[in-house]
Amino acid sequence: MAEPIEEEIQKEVKAHKILIYGKGTKQMPMCGFTRETMQFFDKYGYPYELIDVLSQPAKREALTKITNWPTLPKVFIDGTFYGDTDILDPMAAKGEIEPLLKKAFGK
Amino acid sequence: MITPDVLTDYIRKSMPDAVVSVMDRTGTMNHLKVSVVSAAFQGKNLLDRHRMIYQALDAPMKDGRIHALELTAKTQDEHEM
Repeated sequence: MAEPIEEEIQKEVKAHKILIYGKGTKQMPMCGFTRETMQFFDKYGYPYELIDVLSQPAKREALTKITNWPTLPKVFIDGTFYGDTDILDPMAAKGEIEPLLKKAFGK
Repeated sequence: MITPDVLTDYIRKSMPDAVVSVMDRTGTMNHLKVSVVSAAFQGKNLLDRHRMIYQALDAPMKDGRIHALELTAKTQDEHEM
């Protein structure tokens, strides 16, 4: 039986087409990289969710284990993990983000 | 705070051929832009390449010498393109 926290993460990842686990909230991001990631998705105009894991250390630890990725923010698109803007920026440069988001939102 | 040479040594422990360049993003030598060129990245996707770098820098990240990293990871020919 999966850990309750891992189940909660799986539910969150399924519930949001674009999900950012980061530091702070949309109104008050607490880290430059979290803000940078929000700005990245603002360009495409699709809705995204930001979940603050600064206030949820256990979830933050579980996420690090699940993704084998030590840092925040952590981005999931359509249920798949994509790291952060270090990964998304080169993908955008190759034009891979637009089709990915279109598919995710079923356009 | 970590110096470029110490950081490079950490990376070369797992990627001996790595060519590493380090840029200090905020003047505090702990928010760093690090570029790594190594044959070890051949055939690996971007996520796994960055995982390799994070694993190599696990110690200085855990003890706080590095706060934030901005990474690029290329093979030699990608670097020359």
